[in-house]
Amino acid sequence: MDLNFISFIVMGIAASILSGVMVTRRWPVSAAMVLIAIMMLLAGMFGLLEAHFAAAAQIIVYAGAIMVVFVFVMMLLNLPPEELRYGGITWGEMLLIGLGVAVAIVLGTQVGQGLLTRGFESLGFIPGQAPPGARPLYFPPSENVKNLAAAMFVDYLWAFELTSFLIMAAVVGSIVIAKKRSAENANAA
Amino acid sequence: MLTLPEIGLYFSFLLFLVGLAGVMFRKNILFMMLSIEVLLNAANLAFVCASKITGTIDGQVVMFFVMAVAACEAAIGLALIIALYRTKASIEADDLKALRG
Repeated sequence: MDLNFISFIVMGIAASILSGVMVTRRWPVSAAMVLIAIMMLLAGMFGLLEAHFAAAAQIIVYAGAIMVVFVFVMMLLNLPPEELRYGGITWGEMLLIGLGVAVAIVLGTQVGQGLLTRGFESLGFIPGQAPPGARPLYFPPSENVKNLAAAMFVDYLWAFELTSFLIMAAVVGSIVIAKKRSAENANAA
Repeated sequence: MLTLPEIGLYFSFLLFLVGLAGVMFRKNILFMMLSIEVLLNAANLAFVCASKITGTIDGQVVMFFVMAVAACEAAIGLALIIALYRTKASIEADDLKALRG
């Protein structure tokens, strides 16, 4: 029970509770603020899992860029309070969520070969050791950014380049969708 | 005794469950989009945990691709919300009955 272990569990429990808080908010902006806190906690968990660049990108891209877009759209819509009708979580919904947890526990203990109790060793993985057939790391495991760059720009180069096409299509598509159609355009179409 | 990334997989499951409940039970499209972000974050956590368990880096690479897809999804989805609000003056899923979904 070292400090890493305890802080990882505390951050995970806090993120789980805050996600429950987030989906039951009435106001979208407060839900967005809670979601930023969830993303910060997840960044801390990534850091404890020694994914340092992923932790930095989680804060910069998710909590920075994507959430700014969300808050910007909420401000742009400027919803009146009567639009936000939400009565809170009902007992039937709570029952369904509990049923989901129960099914997952049964699957984890019975079907998953003791995954819940004995961990991934029951599936033949040795923790911290690459499974047979996996490509070995180019650099020692402590060099997280170097390893990530080598994998992304050598092994996954085509996927990485295709991602830029995806983002460009999304940018053009969002402009076309959100464009205000004027009267003469509507008549011409 | 479970190791750190194995416990992280269970937190990922919890986050995914709550996000799924948000997508299913909320009627407000903005909240559905925010819950989808929680879903993608839970998947990211699972990928990083798997990367740590197997000792390879591929899970973290996939995590960055998920992040790029999440950015695209947010841009397109929010543009759709603006277009819907302009035509229907509402962002409640119940008011969008044109497709009888």
